[in-house]
Amino acid sequence: MTDTPDWNAYEAEAAAAAQAAASSDDLEEARVRFLGRKSDIALGLREVRDRETGMLLNGVRTRLEETFDTRAARLADDELDRRLRDEIVDVTLPGDELPLGHLHPITQIRRMVEDAFLGLGYEVRDDREVETVEYNFDKLAFLPTHSARSPRDTFFFDPNHVLRTETSPSQIHIMEEKEPPLYMVSIGRVYRRDAITATRYPIFHQFEGLAVDRGLTLADLKGTLLHVMRALYGPERKVRFRTHYFPFTEPSIEPDVSCGICLGSGCRTCKYSGWIEMGGAGMVDPTVLANVGLDPEEWSGFAFGCGLERTAQLRHDIPDIRALWEGDLRVLRQF
Amino acid sequence: MRVPVSWLRDYVAMDMSLTELATKLSIASAEIEGIETRGVADEGGNLGLFRIGKVREAIKHPNADRLQLTKVDLGEAEPRSIVCGAWNFGVGATVAVALPGATIPARPGLPDGLTLERRKVRGEISDGMILAEDEIGLGADHEGIMVFPEIEPGTLLADVVPLSDKVLLVEATGNRPDLQSIYGIAREIAAIYDLDLAEAPGLIPVGTPGGPVKIQVGDFERCSRYVGTIVQGVTVGHSPLIMKARLLGAGMRPISNVVDITNYVMLTLGSPLHAFDLATLNGGGINVRRASDGEKLTTLDGVERVLTADDLVIADDARAVALAGIMGGAETEVSADTHTILLEAANFESHGVFRSSERHRLRSEASGRFEKGVDPQLADQAARWATELIVEFAGGTWTSWNDVHAGLPARPFVEFRPERADAVIGVKTTPDEQFRILGKLGFEQEGTGVIVPSWRARDVTREIDIVEEIARFRLEEVPFTLPQRREMFGVLTREQKLRRRLEDALVGLGFAETYTPSLRPDDETTWKLPEPISVDLTALRTTILPSLVEAVARNIDAGAKNIALFEVARVYLPGDGDLPTERVRVAGIVEGGFSRAKGVVETVYAALKAEPAFARGEHRLLHPGKAATTGAGIVGELHPRELDGEWGAFELDLDDLFAASREPITYTDVITYPAVRQDIAVVVGEGVAAGDIVATARTAAGAELREIRVFDVYRGEQLGAGKKSVAFSVAYQADDRTLNDEDATRLRDAIINALATEFGAELRA
Ligand SMILES: [Zn+2]
Repeated sequence: MTDTPDWNAYEAEAAAAAQAAASSDDLEEARVRFLGRKSDIALGLREVRDRETGMLLNGVRTRLEETFDTRAARLADDELDRRLRDEIVDVTLPGDELPLGHLHPITQIRRMVEDAFLGLGYEVRDDREVETVEYNFDKLAFLPTHSARSPRDTFFFDPNHVLRTETSPSQIHIMEEKEPPLYMVSIGRVYRRDAITATRYPIFHQFEGLAVDRGLTLADLKGTLLHVMRALYGPERKVRFRTHYFPFTEPSIEPDVSCGICLGSGCRTCKYSGWIEMGGAGMVDPTVLANVGLDPEEWSGFAFGCGLERTAQLRHDIPDIRALWEGDLRVLRQF
Repeated sequence: MRVPVSWLRDYVAMDMSLTELATKLSIASAEIEGIETRGVADEGGNLGLFRIGKVREAIKHPNADRLQLTKVDLGEAEPRSIVCGAWNFGVGATVAVALPGATIPARPGLPDGLTLERRKVRGEISDGMILAEDEIGLGADHEGIMVFPEIEPGTLLADVVPLSDKVLLVEATGNRPDLQSIYGIAREIAAIYDLDLAEAPGLIPVGTPGGPVKIQVGDFERCSRYVGTIVQGVTVGHSPLIMKARLLGAGMRPISNVVDITNYVMLTLGSPLHAFDLATLNGGGINVRRASDGEKLTTLDGVERVLTADDLVIADDARAVALAGIMGGAETEVSADTHTILLEAANFESHGVFRSSERHRLRSEASGRFEKGVDPQLADQAARWATELIVEFAGGTWTSWNDVHAGLPARPFVEFRPERADAVIGVKTTPDEQFRILGKLGFEQEGTGVIVPSWRARDVTREIDIVEEIARFRLEEVPFTLPQRREMFGVLTREQKLRRRLEDALVGLGFAETYTPSLRPDDETTWKLPEPISVDLTALRTTILPSLVEAVARNIDAGAKNIALFEVARVYLPGDGDLPTERVRVAGIVEGGFSRAKGVVETVYAALKAEPAFARGEHRLLHPGKAATTGAGIVGELHPRELDGEWGAFELDLDDLFAASREPITYTDVITYPAVRQDIAVVVGEGVAAGDIVATARTAAGAELREIRVFDVYRGEQLGAGKKSVAFSVAYQADDRTLNDEDATRLRDAIINALATEFGAELRA
């Protein structure tokens, strides 16, 4: 080693080279030149004999290493930014197709009904669909001449067995199984001998509510149905009662809910009445209570029944009930 | 029932709007399903375009042999020229005319009605239309145009004939036979609006003749009362226009004055009547008896009925002449030649009429009323009024009267507490108001209760029935309350919650839920409907998959992709008792083969915290080599004859699934002492099932083997023919310490030794 280099100038030159490097590759080249094994400073350090020079050179090398590291981090950031700027995707393209299924609208309605009644403190049940004439008609106080007892209206297997025509036999089953007070809703399939049309299907679903307690009134029934109809159709709906006749309730009524399409002013859906029929209801007939061994002077009850398909048709504006039974994915995937 | 409003006004004076009346009736009495117009529409001045005219000239149309060209005086400056196709009138006739702009109502052959225009007919101006009865809803037949006695030309036709009426469509419930009558509905209106109700016709006997009618009732159970009258010398002809118009409005076809009167009285009072031509009755009298088995009767509709001993008939001395309460016989009906009639107003027991009506598949206005129960007190009233009307409109002399019964029922007394009504209805009604309502309906307060009117005696027999009478007039005032609860709370059962989880798991796996009918074309079941409505809905299904196969096939046809369907529904299995065993199952079909279906089933089990136990199984819809039982049902690849391509299918019993569920889960500490994981591969013969390897390993390693799962099966030349390598991953774990390498080696050796002993397995290097 003949000359003693000017280490201040070396440091300044190296730092300038680091700053001038436009890429990680340029920077690495400069690092090899100024800090590599064959760089002047590496050689210089190898030949250091005195402490003072050693401290000087180590100081230069440490500062240069910092400078190069800082510059390297900066260049890496810039390069990442540049690369990411080129990785632009069309965000309007569809994402990966992941499987997602669909609950049938009847199941969705069933759960809404269950939840509404759970909130009112009811238990949920379902009973057998093949019923005896005793449970489907006799214990529910159907008169011998009631048209539902005709094979023209009801599916008979033999004179004693039918496909249940409503969920009402559940009333008898629960009253025979348990002591009152009773609050239950029964949900399931029922069967009527109807020709298949846009509004009727011989198989459909009903929910049937029953409350048996001391001192129940028609007003309690009205309040209960108001809650349930609002749960199903929205909080602004109104409920009214019309007199009706069912063998197993007295007084019997039909509840109407205000039309959600015209909000009561009259339209085609509500046949210009502003109201939509929701099913049947009434106070449990004393004969039915007596049939299961309850004293009608002590116990009173109310009951109501309603179709799930009808509810689904009204909620979702489904014009043809058959769409609910055909398993067509174009229909099912809407729900 | 169709109720012409003008008819109601005979008995109650009303001034409310019909829309309001319909709402009030719907709430308190019977549903009003609509309001229709009978005759000419009364809107937009239409009625003013129907006038009386006098024919001044009538000649043959110069260009058409079958048409008349007339000049009709309508009280205007000039007569109008009108072309007409009828020839039953001539110069001087007084006729009804519709002017251009008038809308005439729809009728058979003219479904949309017609608005008239001044137009040329075969070259001649026709400035209106001369009317026949059927063209304005006043008759059924197009028998030529109406000709009136002398009336001032230009007079409004509406002042001369019942040109227009409104009709309420009343849908009365089965317990209200009294609402099958105009008078009964008028009574309800009077009660709702607190109006006066006119007295019912026919109540006051006017000169009842003493001559006898031969009536023999052999079965008072089935016929509790038979009133017969005879009118001699009637002239069968047309009814008055008002009667025809009202019958048409009520949906009945005018036939002749005698028959129309029986229908008119039936509709007014609710008690059916029948008129026989007395000359056709052998022996000149009536015998009410059971038919003999095989006896024949041709009813008015022309059908020959073969009767049974359960059918009640009206007979003469030789044969049955009417099916009691349902329909008269063709051989004894009133005809244009009839001179003497025997009029029947009787009471037939409802269930007997129901059975005969069912047996012969024959319903009529009469049978519909008898099935619901007709008030026996009405029979003499109906007979009296109908006879009076016949004498008035068909002439003749009322010669005979007979009323045969075995005692009429007394009006029932029912105990009634007004406070009981308040307790049931939930809104207070003063006792005075309660008894006012009841009074309007014909109930009489007496002592501690009320006497029920005869027309309600059938359905009002208990206090609660009286309560309903009050309730239906208070429905709009009933408040909205909830029961005062002290017991019970609502919660889904474990099974109901697991069912929701199952449904949600399948939805998460991409399945769409479907509903298919529980009835199938024909299944292997004894639960078949003897009288199905279609072959497709005949037998209760014992499995759900066939319905899903059909649904998938329809979706394939519709071009659907990624098909995966499931259904949760019942199957109906032959049971021990006299009812089928109903089980709820979940079934599904998914694109992909056996392993896809099995993966779904494994995930469903995992979601329910249950372990499946797979074993080779079989099912008629599944591939014979790719089907397994799970412990709760079956899973497999669909048999290729069912659908093209590879399809996975499963059907599982919910109760069995839920019984296997470990819910609620007991916590296991897997954090404190971590697991040791290993992969092991063994070479075994081709016939060794992976499931058996896993089971043997579990037994050999015991409780410290926490997880084991086969992840690869390999076959290759170096293994030799008939051999395969099965690789599985295991995790060992203990509850009380961290397992070390020695433990892992011990467990691994135990597994390998057991597999060697059981299957001749060799560890694969
Ligand atoms: Zn509406």
